[in-house]
Parts: sequence; C-alpha cells; structure tokens
Amino acid sequence: MVIKTNTSYRYKRLEETLSRLSKEECQIIAGGTDVMVQHKSPRGTPAKFDKPIVFIDQLKELKQVYKMNHDIHIGACCTYSEMMKHPLIPGILKKAIKEIAAPAIRNRGTIGGNICNASPAGDTLPLLYIYNAKVRLVSAKGERMIEIQDFIQGPRKVNRLNDEIVREIILPEVHEDLTHFVFEKVANRRADAIAKISFAGLLRRDEGRISDARFAFGAVGPTIVRSMDIEKKLLSAAFPLDNKFIDGIVADFECLLKPIDDGRSTAVYRKTVALHLLRHFLEMY
Amino acid sequence: MITFNLNGREVETEAPPTMRLIDLLRDEFQLIGSKEGCGDGECGTCSVLVNSLLHNSCLVPIGAIEGAEVITIDGYCKTEQFQLLSECYSEAGAVQCGFCIPGMVMASAAILSQNPHPTEEEIREGISGNLCRCTGYNMIVDAIDLAAKKGEGLW
Repeated sequence: MVIKTNTSYRYKRLEETLSRLSKEECQIIAGGTDVMVQHKSPRGTPAKFDKPIVFIDQLKELKQVYKMNHDIHIGACCTYSEMMKHPLIPGILKKAIKEIAAPAIRNRGTIGGNICNASPAGDTLPLLYIYNAKVRLVSAKGERMIEIQDFIQGPRKVNRLNDEIVREIILPEVHEDLTHFVFEKVANRRADAIAKISFAGLLRRDEGRISDARFAFGAVGPTIVRSMDIEKKLLSAAFPLDNKFIDGIVADFECLLKPIDDGRSTAVYRKTVALHLLRHFLEMY
Repeated sequence: MITFNLNGREVETEAPPTMRLIDLLRDEFQLIGSKEGCGDGECGTCSVLVNSLLHNSCLVPIGAIEGAEVITIDGYCKTEQFQLLSECYSEAGAVQCGFCIPGMVMASAAILSQNPHPTEEEIREGISGNLCRCTGYNMIVDAIDLAAKKGEGLW
C-alpha cells in the first residue's frame, strides 16, 4: 500500500470538511499537540499517517462559545487559551486549564482534541464528567448528541464514526451558587507534565444537607472513573459529613479505582493519593 | 503548496503538510536559531510566534500554518524589542550554555507583548513551558522584569 502522507485538506467551511469525510476515511488534526507526538517520525521527515489528513483548526464554526437555554456550548476547536479568555467559561474549568501544559501548548491544543485523544489522564476530562458534559457530533448526514462517558470508551478509543466531527461540548447548567467545585492535578512539574492522578469533585448543599454530589478521577483506570451509585449515597446526608460516613465513601472508591504502574507513577501511589484527595474534599467542603 | 509569512516575508514550500514546522524552518529555510530539544512539546526550545502567539514548532504540522504569520528568533533578533531583551539578558546574567535562550527570548517576547507590566508570577507562568538546565530561571525572570521596566512604551 502506498502511504499518502502528502494528501491533506484544509477547507474554509465545516460543510466542505464534512463532505470530504463522507467520501473517505481521514485523520483529523485539530491543534495537533497530541497527534504529532503520537505520529513522530525521525527528524527532518514528515509525521507519517496512513490516511489523508483533514485539518480542522481553522474552521470558525468549531470555535464558537455561547449560552443557550442556560447551557454553555463550547466549540470543539477552541484552544485552551481562547477558553481561558472567554467570559462564559466557568471559573473551575479555567482553573483546570491553567494546570494544562504551558502557554505554547494552550495556544494550540483544543478541548475537542483532548476529548478525542481520550487519554485516561486527559486534563479537562474529570471536570467534563462531573459537569455531565455532552458531545455534539456532526456529519454530512446529520447530528447526534452523546454523553461524555459514553463517548469515551478507552485509551484513544471514542464513539466517533469516520464521517463525524465533534462540533461542540455542551455543559448543562450547574447552579454554581452553593456548589463547591474542586479540581486537583498531581504531576511531576507544574507545566507540561501529564497527570499522575487528577480529581474533580462537586458538592452542593441545601439547608445543611447534600443535594448533589459528583466525583471523577483521572489516570486511575482506562477511562475517567465516576460512580453514580456511590454519588447517590451522599444525597440527603447531613453536612458536615461524619467521619464514619466518609470512611465508607472512601472504601467504596477504593474498590473501584484500578490504577496501573507506568513510567509516571506506581499504582499504589496513584490509589493512595486519589483517595486522600477524595477524603480531603469530603472533610473540607 | 503551502504559503505563509515568515519573518515578514511571504514564502512558499512544497514540503508535505505533516512536516513539522521546526524541520521546515531549519532544513528548508536554514533558520537555525530555533533548536530542537525534546521534540515532544515539553522543553520550549523550538518556540516561535505563530500569529503573535507562542507555539512549539516541533508540534505544528506545516499544513496548519497556511496563511499564518510566523516569527522565529532569526527574524525577531532584528527588532528593537530584541535589542532590549538582549541587553537585559546580559545585564541579568541570564545566559549560561545558551541552548534554551532562543526559546526563552521568544517566550519573553510573548509575555511582554501581551502584558507590558507582568508580575513575577506572570513571568514564571509565561516561561513555564521552557526548560533551562543552567540558570535556575531566576536570572531569566530578572531579565524579563528588567526589560519590562526599561522598555516603557516599547511593548
């Protein structure tokens, strides 16, 4: 087979891009910050792909941020820097973005790319999970929406058909008053390091009782770990939570987290720190 | 054919679109000021400005810079701003082996052009993607701070 590294498309409009994708299977490149590392080739030679390339970073249709019916819609090709500057992006998401890489990567990397790369350590993912984010996909044939936890299926594996593009990420409304958010990332270096563990938590109180609780852990399993069953146990619990109750929740998650040993960290370290972050959040907020 | 503006000049290339910008700059245009360190976007040595924003040229496929404006250290060193940065880096003693410096200068340019009066924290954030194994960073931070103070009106 001849590898056509030279074929690439860069259209002005989304419509033309979708039309191309309906005709042939292509490699989509948004910012390229992950994909160029994955397809690295010897110095001086072009990155090798076995499919034609479609660049999408220039598509204006994929760069809009707006509010509709109280939900925040974020164009998939918004870079992290663009999101940092946008007034509609929630503060907690901006805080997470500050922990992503460094300015040069934030000027290029996109939120849609982070999702489609589907790394268990993807920095935006734990927060998107606890936001109950939805992924809006579009193809020449039409559109569909899918919950983020159904979209991401495993490392580098997502529920996207070859002719589809992720158009937007939608954050359903969260009543931010009385809601506590945290995002924690543990890594070797403040900039440019991939997370050893990440944790996002949300707790909402009404009249001294918990009315909403959500937790998501990154880099402790093949996908982000979240459990609606454990979250339900917290509903109506009196606040502050007593220690025995917290022990129970931590023990529940201890069974659920299945980290691995790799070059960045050990499984034992990951699990220990992840559970400490959870306990700290439950005790403090 | 990809056309873009390189250091103020319209240029074109026949190189394949998945060629990395760092390779194009060094091999085809002989602009060897930008160094390749890690090749993974972690060290910042290959930093350039693309449409005035700091980018790691090792991560940019050239297909994505069609129509863009790229400034490398080789072009930037002809500017007044560079002259000042150069003086301030010397004055602060911010250079040892010098390998990181082209990238550090481009990061400095990005910091000051976006914010002429950065705090120390903003300076450290601005160079956080650039690794230096000799200076310990403090002298580089001092150099950028000095350039902000001395360059009143220039940024």
